[in-house]
Amino acid sequence: MTVSTRPEPITGAAAPTGVTPGFRKNRKSNREGFKVNWWLTALMLVASLTVLLPLYFTVAMALKSPDQIGTGTGLAWPNPMNWENFAAAYVATNFPRAFMSTAFVTVLSVLGSLACSSLVAYAIARNWNHTFFRGSFVYLLSAMFIPFPVIILPLIKQTALLGLDNPAGVVFLHVLGGISFNTLLYIAFVRSIPVELEESARMDGATTWQVFRRIIFPLLAPMNATVGIFAFLGSWNDFLLPQMMIADPALQTLPVVQMLFQGEFNTNYSLAFASYLMAMAPTLVVYILAQRWVLSGVMRGAVK
Amino acid sequence: MNAAVPASLLSRRSLLRAAGLAGAAAMIPLTGCASPSGPQNGVTTLRFMQNKPEVVAYFNQVIKDFEALNPDIHVVQDFNEGNFVPGLVRNDPPDVVTRGFAQATADFVRKGIFADLSDLPVAAGIDPKMQELISSWGQYNGNEVSALPFSLAAAGVIYNRDIFEAQGVAVPTTWSGFVAACETFKAAGIAPIYGTYKDTWTLAQGMFDYVSGGSLDVADFFTRINARGARISKDAAESFSNNFGPALPKMLQLASYAQNGAASKNYADGNAAFAKGQAAMYLQGPWALSQLVSANKNIRLGSFPLPVTDNAEETKARVNVDMALSITRNTPNMAAAQRFVNYLLEPSVVNTFNEKNAAFSPLKDAPAVSNPQISGLGDSVKEGRYYQGAATYFPPSVPLNNYIQSFVYGKNGEQFLSALDDEWRRVAERTAV
Repeated sequence: MTVSTRPEPITGAAAPTGVTPGFRKNRKSNREGFKVNWWLTALMLVASLTVLLPLYFTVAMALKSPDQIGTGTGLAWPNPMNWENFAAAYVATNFPRAFMSTAFVTVLSVLGSLACSSLVAYAIARNWNHTFFRGSFVYLLSAMFIPFPVIILPLIKQTALLGLDNPAGVVFLHVLGGISFNTLLYIAFVRSIPVELEESARMDGATTWQVFRRIIFPLLAPMNATVGIFAFLGSWNDFLLPQMMIADPALQTLPVVQMLFQGEFNTNYSLAFASYLMAMAPTLVVYILAQRWVLSGVMRGAVK
Repeated sequence: MNAAVPASLLSRRSLLRAAGLAGAAAMIPLTGCASPSGPQNGVTTLRFMQNKPEVVAYFNQVIKDFEALNPDIHVVQDFNEGNFVPGLVRNDPPDVVTRGFAQATADFVRKGIFADLSDLPVAAGIDPKMQELISSWGQYNGNEVSALPFSLAAAGVIYNRDIFEAQGVAVPTTWSGFVAACETFKAAGIAPIYGTYKDTWTLAQGMFDYVSGGSLDVADFFTRINARGARISKDAAESFSNNFGPALPKMLQLASYAQNGAASKNYADGNAAFAKGQAAMYLQGPWALSQLVSANKNIRLGSFPLPVTDNAEETKARVNVDMALSITRNTPNMAAAQRFVNYLLEPSVVNTFNEKNAAFSPLKDAPAVSNPQISGLGDSVKEGRYYQGAATYFPPSVPLNNYIQSFVYGKNGEQFLSALDDEWRRVAERTAV
């Protein structure tokens, strides 16, 4: 998904400059010398198919009846459309409950990741000359080299002892598991923020917390968006951790509940895709809302 | 650029605020619906983990009926089988479990995970030959009954009745009759068998299991080879080379009757194509039936056990215990769990379930199956002429399915069997106690 959006900064960058009157002249002259790179455009159109085609299949599949699935190339749009697939999937998965459980896990994972990782990164980046902080950075990074499945059973044992064999435990592990990668992202960004900004805040009497809260955290916005999107996608789509950790089936998350449509040898494709589509909707919405910040983050990095 | 910053800050804040509200809203119902286990107000909560997501709705009805009869028990169904091992790790496994019974479940049995069910009244009603399918994998303490069969899936050749009738072909009962039928279809321009070799498991459960199961005593073979341990080699009397050899040419003959391009088709392709009548026969088990019917409501299907010899009396079906009922040994709700298992094995429940799901009931006095899709396998099952597929006896660390696929493509039987001998010995050496 992220790959396919790369082409967008080009068009996205052109739009806001048009809004600012001061740039109008500049833009006009741009347009005169502007040539359409048809090869690149064609390449991008083809590349965009890698996202659009699966999306089309998902929508088409969700609207098919079982006997429409096996016929033709699969590209044909179903006629008549079976809207009742959505209702059936909604009932079968007990969608509202699974949705709330997933939302609980995701929202708290995102907020937790933003708060914890940015604090850790700030502490490490601003104390880089202390061996302890530098060592702790290496220590956190080393966690990235441990494959998750290796430690899952001990983790299950531990979380059960702590009474965390529920969505709260999943949130806890998502935040914890994300710290190493997110800190890596944040630290690089915090370093690019001039220390002078903080010093001037100190002059005005700000405490360390106030400096972080009022100066650093807002300046981290592009990176917050990046980390937030990673955390959102990671926890919204996570299958393994909830599947193994959440003991009570009533609190299970959407990706696990959707296994309902997949037996060992038989898959109910139409209901499955209807259900996937309903589960994807929030991801798409968040993605469309948040991609602006990711892109602005990309550009800021480029200027510096 | 500068002008954009305040705007994005504003919407970021409002987004965060919205996210915070959503989080708070999510927490309220969650704290409300957490269901504690153990007796509460005199009602015992049982957790029932079953292994077939496609029958969740059916079991919901069964549970409803059971709870109406037993108001002091509340049953929670869970189809997330991946949570079974974590449950054991947490020391909080589900109380009643159904599992497909083979290698992996037998491992749990040997470790004493499940309680002894031999004293349950319903245990006496189970067909001893079907119970033997379970105990042949090993019993805890040498005599315990750790699982009771609930549903037996019998697999053979699924055939398209319309194509058989149109070509005037009767269901073959001998190998030569089967070959003659294939030739008839071939001559008529119909693919005799639909092959889906891209999914290697279909080769393993299909031609490999059918041909080996029909031509040798699979259970006996694996008892002997297991007893031999790591001292297995090509030349040993217990080796694959010395036992499976005669079966291989028949596998290749089956492969020669598959449609063109079988190598690039997978199981889903096969279901779609067979449902459209693109072949006369399909080496698949009853699990494919519902997929075929959902793709083509009007298809008329039947099944017969693949005859591998010319003695019709020797024809056997491939079976597997699709669902076996167990109670975990340390459950705090033993009495309630036993009542639930007893209820599930009442004829009205277990027979109805199997009738509806194209499977065979494990009860001694179960009525003959009336489902025309599987009735052709009824005699074999009733008379106990069945075997568990040879592929199911292999430890998962042997990539058997890939070996079968390369044998079907390369047709080198000697290499195939000696590779199996080597693999078997390597695993035996590693796991030797």
